[in-house]
Amino acid sequence: MSWNIDRRTFLRGTAGALLPLPMLNLMQASERSKKQSKPPVRFVTLFKPNGVHPPSWNINGGSEHDFRMSPQMKPFEKHKDDLLILDQMGDFGFSSHASSTRRFLSGHHTNGRSASIDQLIADKIGADTAHRSIELTTEGLFPNQIGCSYISYDRKGNPIPRETDPQLIFDRLFRSPLSDATKRQEMSSLLDRVREDAKSLSLKAGLEDRRTLDEYLSVVRATEKRLDNLNQASLSKVDFSKLKRPDTSVNLNDQVETMLDLIGLALWTDSTRCITYMLGNSNSRMIFDFLGVKEQHHYLSHFFRNSSRHNLEGLLKISLWHMEKFDYLLTKLKSYKDGNGSLLDHCVVLFGSGMGHSDNHTVTRIPVVLAGKGGGMLKTGRYLRYAENQRLGGLHLSLLRGFGIDVDSYAKSSTPLPGLDGSPIKTYKEQPFESWVKVQGKTITVQGRLRMSDNLDESRVFFVDVAGKPPVRVEVGFGDFHHFNLAYHCGTAVTMTGKGSQHDGKTRITKVTELKSVFGKKPGTLNG
Amino acid sequence: MYFARFITAALWLCLWLLDSSALASAPTFEADIKPLVAKYCVKCHSGKKPKGKIDFTKIATAQDAAAQFEVWESAIELLGDDEMPPEDAKQPTKAERAKFKTWYQERLVRSVKAHPGYFKPRRLSATEYRNTLRSLFGFDLEVAVVEAEQTVIEKSLVMKLLPLDPPGKSGFRNDTSGNPLTTVTWDQYAYLTDAALERFFSPSSKKQLEAITGPVVDDSITKSQAKKILRSFLPRIYRRPVPESDLSQAITAVNSADDFVAALKIELKAAMMSPRFIYRGMLMRGKSDVQRPVDDYELAERLSYFVWADMPDAELTQLAAEGKLGDSATLESQIDRMLASAKARSLAEDFAAQWLSLDEVAKNMRNPPQRIAFQSQPIDFMHHLFTANRPLIGLINGRFAFVNRYTQGFYSGDRRQLKPHKKPKGIEVQTVPNQLITLNSTPERGGVLTIPGVLQMNRGPVLRGVWMLERILGDHLPDPPMNVGQVPKNKRGQNLTFRQRFELHRSKATCAICHDKIDPLGFGLAGYDGNGGFAKNRRGPNKIDTAGRLPSGETFENFQELRQILVTSQREKVIRNIVRQMLSYALCRKLKIYDRPTVDKIVEKVNNDKSTYRDLIIEIANCLPFRQTVLRGKKS
Repeated sequence: MSWNIDRRTFLRGTAGALLPLPMLNLMQASERSKKQSKPPVRFVTLFKPNGVHPPSWNINGGSEHDFRMSPQMKPFEKHKDDLLILDQMGDFGFSSHASSTRRFLSGHHTNGRSASIDQLIADKIGADTAHRSIELTTEGLFPNQIGCSYISYDRKGNPIPRETDPQLIFDRLFRSPLSDATKRQEMSSLLDRVREDAKSLSLKAGLEDRRTLDEYLSVVRATEKRLDNLNQASLSKVDFSKLKRPDTSVNLNDQVETMLDLIGLALWTDSTRCITYMLGNSNSRMIFDFLGVKEQHHYLSHFFRNSSRHNLEGLLKISLWHMEKFDYLLTKLKSYKDGNGSLLDHCVVLFGSGMGHSDNHTVTRIPVVLAGKGGGMLKTGRYLRYAENQRLGGLHLSLLRGFGIDVDSYAKSSTPLPGLDGSPIKTYKEQPFESWVKVQGKTITVQGRLRMSDNLDESRVFFVDVAGKPPVRVEVGFGDFHHFNLAYHCGTAVTMTGKGSQHDGKTRITKVTELKSVFGKKPGTLNG
Repeated sequence: MYFARFITAALWLCLWLLDSSALASAPTFEADIKPLVAKYCVKCHSGKKPKGKIDFTKIATAQDAAAQFEVWESAIELLGDDEMPPEDAKQPTKAERAKFKTWYQERLVRSVKAHPGYFKPRRLSATEYRNTLRSLFGFDLEVAVVEAEQTVIEKSLVMKLLPLDPPGKSGFRNDTSGNPLTTVTWDQYAYLTDAALERFFSPSSKKQLEAITGPVVDDSITKSQAKKILRSFLPRIYRRPVPESDLSQAITAVNSADDFVAALKIELKAAMMSPRFIYRGMLMRGKSDVQRPVDDYELAERLSYFVWADMPDAELTQLAAEGKLGDSATLESQIDRMLASAKARSLAEDFAAQWLSLDEVAKNMRNPPQRIAFQSQPIDFMHHLFTANRPLIGLINGRFAFVNRYTQGFYSGDRRQLKPHKKPKGIEVQTVPNQLITLNSTPERGGVLTIPGVLQMNRGPVLRGVWMLERILGDHLPDPPMNVGQVPKNKRGQNLTFRQRFELHRSKATCAICHDKIDPLGFGLAGYDGNGGFAKNRRGPNKIDTAGRLPSGETFENFQELRQILVTSQREKVIRNIVRQMLSYALCRKLKIYDRPTVDKIVEKVNNDKSTYRDLIIEIANCLPFRQTVLRGKKS
């Protein structure tokens, strides 16, 4: 692809706070790209560590077009029209952290000898770009279970090294003498300088010094030769010298946002078309002190084992932060114009985790959200809850085919996941139940679906939805919360009796005395 | 290996003429020694595949003999220990042995005088480059990464990008003479220099910038501040004063540029990519082909890279400028100051780690907090020996240890000294620091040999014996023959211990030469299992046999008795090895024949129970090869 850039266009456009230079609209500026009917489709993966907290994540009781986004989804609710939220993804049974990481992009945790889909896609779409693919993360390796540290695998199933440093990535993309003309020129004049320096030293040098200087000069000559031999064509058509190099990150938030900025920039400048980014190892023990949370993330993710109001609040803060970063990425991708739409329109963004319930380590209801229209590959603005568990391999097979890769099966899944493009699916059927509320003095009995408050800052607040009436607010102490296991029942139909009050049509329970599941199943067998 | 490595012919030989005053009557090579060698040695040590790769037929003249000093050095040892000629071969008479020894002492050893060696510029090792960059700019160039418990990452951008230096002939990584500059390294230098300069002029380094320029307004420096930066940086980059003409040339270049900040960066980058920065000692000037003291800046640099693996700081540079550094009282107080600095940890992390192969400790342990616990134990131990003024022989019998919750189980007698460490709430796994404890009631521990990680690194008696011989006693072993095979299992009806079967297996004369030395040391540690644990010995048939007999004839029942031998009758050998290792690291080169007088002289001073590592460092800083040099002329 060839970009024709008008310097003045640097004054227009949008870019993030960390790369404040006004950017040009590359795609529009190119004569050739006007003729091209379609901009390339890119594939971006954002991995969230430590599963999810299902009571606040799951969507319950919605339908394809009419659904209520869950409290944890609030940060990216504004992108609803660009999302395809998949539910009932996964398998049966228990998942380790390492196997959940492999599963996320490799279809199944036993699929250990093949490439992950990002790499297969990169093979297909990455040939014309300077960088075939880029693999990113935020933290170091976890040698105890090395699989926790990688989602991208090569064709032999070996993990692909990941990079954590935004400056290093920036330099690799935009400051390499191999591709950047300014940098090449700079290196070339430096070589002139040091050669003169070494030669003048050599005049006065003794034998040993001269041998060393000869060795030095031969490296200088070899470097010059290498620069000369580089084809002019290898230089990028875009002048990157105006891009501002990000400053050293001051904390995790800064580091991650800078990296997300770079992801946008790398895709938009067509430096690469395939990027995977892990927000942490799948069992991350990072400490989010900038959010005021002092406990390790993995410890908090076992929210039942380590149950306390304080721990839950910490976990929800971290989870919301992850969702905000997903929002940040989508907003960034939308801000770039690409062809006749936005960059997001020509991306497939896969966001999620390889595990569902972070305390039980379940493989059911794995969080998976697709975003972007993928140049028409995805029909967004929908919520798909499948009738039965869908292996990730089926989703992966669909995506591979969407990117034009002709395969019969992937990770032992030979049926592509239906519905991504709007094709019909078998949807999940809930058992119908009645909802009502009865108030007798201070005793309140309500039947309906229990859910957490949309505002996760008030994690002590729950609601029971009643058809045609305002929801009943449940606001109880930690004793009740723990004893009746409110979080566990979230998303399901319950009959709750308790003490409370009613004012202005608003009903409120402040002490639970009895809680029954409407369908009478034992804890551990219901959704959530 | 030693035998394989000896250098064929040395150009310098003509310089060390025989000390003619000494010995008119001593045996000579051609008249006395050559016939002896022909009679007893040539049968095996000649032909297509000479034993031990030593071919005595190639040593024809006295000059050849002197050139291959190292061959005779080991020959005299083997002869003295009755290891050569082998038992089943013809044995020399007492008189012949005496003649050989006299020749060795009177002709060969005495013929070699101390010499500093020819000066060679030496490229900074990756570690030195990292430290030097840190000292130049006042910050560490690090990779942005979130550090979480149990994860590992190379944080230093320098160490991540620069190829790791392979150990030189000396066995140390600072001996870079055999590791030339390559285009790969060049590209990384260029990248790292850019990264450092970008960071230095970015808002995050305002403190470091203003330390040189004074207050900076609106994040942009003035031309006079640019001048200050050049005046501060160039002499530090070159590690010696820069001629005023060179300085003003750089200042003019910056002043006259349109974008003077860009021009300033170019000047700094050119300096940091120059051979004067990349190589040590490139700017030493003076009369060539004569032995002479190094100048004070070179001395500052040698001292600083020895003790700190880093460039000289302002105080050392100032003393060099005043010409005071060479003064022995000043030098001594500077060494004390340097040892008290945190930078002296490089002695343990670089010197000791490479000498004692401590990078191998717990290498495959997968849980980082546990691995760090085992790895840091010997490093902390060595650091304490070096910097807390501990005696040299403390290497073997130091009654202290660095312990934390992961290693306390090995110190049952003294673990109560540990202050309890409580994990904060919500922290599942945590790396914990070591605490220094005194070993009062743990007789089986003490010294580097019984540190659990060191015992784990060398599993089994052979590895332990070889490691002790080579790293602690400074012995050199040839490679084992290719066809050693396995130690056979017990046959039906046989009930031999591993040690008994092993002794049968290696009873051949060719094996015995080395194994007589290796095995007693290795089996002496048999009371410690593969994890480094110590089991109280049992009685009866399950008793572990830890007894042994050294080639010197000394016997011991267990490791504690062996340790006693090491710190008494074998003490000189241990201390000589410590001296040789540290001198070799300080000089960044393999020791040569002409270093022997220097080593002898130092050993004579420090071979006692009181001399400390500080004393040894002072001796090294004052010794001839450290203080003097010979620059080779243009044509030699």
